[in-house]
Amino acid sequence: MKIIVAIKQVPERDAQVHIDSSGQWIEEANLQYAMNEPDAYALEEALQLKEKAGGEVIVISTGPERVSQTIREALAKGADRAIHVVCDDLAARDALGVARLLAAAIQPESPDLLLTGLQSEDLGLGQTGVIVAELLGLPHASLILQVEIIAKEGSKAQIKARRELEEGWFQSIELPSPAVLTIQSGGNKLRYATLMGIKRAKTKEVRTVHAADLGVSAAPAVALEAITLPKKQKSTQILNGSAEEAAAALVEKLKFEARVL
Amino acid sequence: MIFALPTLAEPRHFSLAEKLLFLALAAASVWGFWRRFGVVLEKILEAKKDAGFHLFPIGRRGREFLWEVMCQAKVIRQRPLPGLAHAFVFWAFCAFALVTLNHCATILGIGFLDPDGFAGRCYFYFAAVFALACAVGILGLFVRRFLARPRWLGEKLSWESGLIALLIFALMATYLAAFFVSDKNPAAKALWWAHTLTLLAFLPVIPHTKHLHLVLSPVTVFLSRGGFSRIPPLSGDEDFGLVAGKDLTQLVSLQAYSCVECGRCTEHCPANNTGKRLNPKQIVLGLRGYLNEFGPSSDEPLLGKYNSQQAVFECTTCGACEFQCPVGIEHVPILVGLRRGAVNTGAWDDPHGAKLFLALERGSNALGFPLAERDRFIEKNALPLYDGTQEYCLWLGCMGGYDPKGREIILSLVRVMQHLGVTFGVLRKEKCTGDPVRRLGNDLLFQQLAESNMEALKQSKTKKIISICPHCVRTIQEDWKEYGTPPEIEHHSEFLARYADRLPQQQSREKIVFHDPCYLGRYRNVYDEPRAVVSLAGKLVEAPRHRERSFCCGAGGGLAFLGEETGERVSHNRAAELASTGASIVGAACPFCNTMFRDALAAQGAGAPQLLDIAQLAARTLPQDNST
Ligand code: SF4
Ligand code: SF4
Repeated sequence: MKIIVAIKQVPERDAQVHIDSSGQWIEEANLQYAMNEPDAYALEEALQLKEKAGGEVIVISTGPERVSQTIREALAKGADRAIHVVCDDLAARDALGVARLLAAAIQPESPDLLLTGLQSEDLGLGQTGVIVAELLGLPHASLILQVEIIAKEGSKAQIKARRELEEGWFQSIELPSPAVLTIQSGGNKLRYATLMGIKRAKTKEVRTVHAADLGVSAAPAVALEAITLPKKQKSTQILNGSAEEAAAALVEKLKFEARVL
Repeated sequence: MIFALPTLAEPRHFSLAEKLLFLALAAASVWGFWRRFGVVLEKILEAKKDAGFHLFPIGRRGREFLWEVMCQAKVIRQRPLPGLAHAFVFWAFCAFALVTLNHCATILGIGFLDPDGFAGRCYFYFAAVFALACAVGILGLFVRRFLARPRWLGEKLSWESGLIALLIFALMATYLAAFFVSDKNPAAKALWWAHTLTLLAFLPVIPHTKHLHLVLSPVTVFLSRGGFSRIPPLSGDEDFGLVAGKDLTQLVSLQAYSCVECGRCTEHCPANNTGKRLNPKQIVLGLRGYLNEFGPSSDEPLLGKYNSQQAVFECTTCGACEFQCPVGIEHVPILVGLRRGAVNTGAWDDPHGAKLFLALERGSNALGFPLAERDRFIEKNALPLYDGTQEYCLWLGCMGGYDPKGREIILSLVRVMQHLGVTFGVLRKEKCTGDPVRRLGNDLLFQQLAESNMEALKQSKTKKIISICPHCVRTIQEDWKEYGTPPEIEHHSEFLARYADRLPQQQSREKIVFHDPCYLGRYRNVYDEPRAVVSLAGKLVEAPRHRERSFCCGAGGGLAFLGEETGERVSHNRAAELASTGASIVGAACPFCNTMFRDALAAQGAGAPQLLDIAQLAARTLPQDNST
């Protein structure tokens, strides 16, 4: 089974982000990067499928040169080879633009399964995976925790996937390969990177493709106006009235203002 | 006066048959020795070379050799009575070297010590004194081994030891008896042959038993890596630590064959003492068994038939074993080496371990908190930021930055530093030094953490660091060297002791027991400084196991992050000992010890001593209005 995992490089969890002078993106100098966590789970799922059923795991990622570090990490954890879609203006492209790049690079590989994280930790749009599925004309499912191959015939397989719904409900679905699944964090235990993995990764193939050569438009369909850092707010409100009135007012506020209930 | 004393009888005439018999027996004895010793030597030499091994500077090696081998200092100091008995046996052997040579030479008519001459007479008396001491010593050791039998010598009675004791005793007895017969008496010849036969029987026994240490341990001590628990660098792209026989180096193999099975390591091992599987002596003997069966070029995994992965990951890297070992075996590099082999190849599959590794792959601290938590702590307490102008960069570490108790220690130290007018600043960004992953054998992650920290420190132009954590100090000062040049660093006990005369002395008779952290004591040789600080705040009392023999808290070697222990908790064992001193305060100098004892002391029930770091003790002496 040929599985492609699309991964994204995002600023490290503890990165201190500052908005750059354009007001439309963050300053990238001095940032440290890591693999987007849901993508790490997608990779883990792919590696476990390969361990059970055999096949090949290919990672694909788009972004500037620095992305190769995250690609190496994926190879170190056990992916067999990689495709790096070199693109220096990733921040300027919207989800559709990025999905177009990925779809164009993935198409010639005709994978049996495409996995990617449910969403990215930086933008959190949650769209890229499903748009790629649409562009490739493949069935897809999102919010997946576990994937299982239930029947296999040649390269065709029947896939069973477990989705997480609201309030502790789960849904089990089946779909035929080839398919696209977007994976959410927590379904598996991630493996740690090892020195041996990193050394072995050095000899694995990383094919670079330039965004400009893929023949897709760089013009975004969504115009980004500005980004802002969340405002730190401390406001104290005193709720007056009897205990019952105050409690009712508190529930009201928690529900509709703070939205935590 | 000396001529009135008995003379050593030495037969003057040997027949040709006797000479031939002697030569044949001597050849057989040497052959018996070499048949085994040659194999051992070959295995040691066949093993791969040690990366980063330098014979020079030789001065340190000479000093250690003199002190540990010639003076038997470690043997005696750590177990005075049996140690002294052993030392006499050893010194007698040294004194006997000349006597034995001469003894064998006489039959060939080339004896060089004349029992009637002045020099010969003096030397024989000199040797006789040692022979007497040795005979008494070996009797004592015999009684201890076969009648008293301490636990760490193992369950099995060793017939070898009995045989060796007998042979040594016979050697000394036949020598001493020769003073009481005359040359002409046929008994003189009988004694000569008895002595010779014992000697020739002794030689082949050496390499076949643990008495191989007679030959190997002086070499092992001389060639030791030096320093304490020095973890050797990995060499080349195929070195992942101790994975299989082909990864065993010459030093490790030499050490494996040098073990004398005395069990001192096990006697002091916190893991072994609290019902865990780990037994440091068995780790060493396991490697020997492996080398005997598979040899040093095998692909057979080291963790398997002879040593278990579980045992290796129970080690707290406290170094008690290594400190005790009289023959210079370096257990911690071996144990960490075996862990490296398991972790660097991904063979170690442990949910807690993986969680720790992932937390540090993705984040900045071992506790898995977001960095913002640390920022908040810095802001809330208005800690100055390090800008290159202050004297010290105050390293918070994972515990100081995120753990509530660790933070209290930092704030106390800050109070003291401000009181003393010493300038300092904290870094905005600081990652775990990599101590737990270094000791757990994750070289990839350790290198990333070390390099990224050193880069940040370079950018901030840090010259001198102060830290409350002995693990941070050790890792920064020693382990980072593998990847660059770390800045100077000191532990706050050293800083506080230096300024002790400028801190108020509290007039308190409160009893404070100080717990020596492994990474401050055995690893850094700092014992007096924290005690000087403790003495500012009250009356210092010592626990039964203290200074070099301090008992671990159970946190080291990454174990603080590995979840529940099997058997008794190391921290509870130690906490009970500390509480039994009757002290009202336990003084600690390491935030990991602190976190371990927090629960362990609480489990001692009501009346358990209070737990305070030395920084908190020092801050207590300050006038109240100085509080921040
Ligand atoms: S370092 Fe400590 S815990 Fe590890 S084997 Fe030695 S004595 Fe035991
Ligand atoms: S390793 Fe050292 S301390 Fe342990 S039994 Fe062997 S010789 Fe003794």
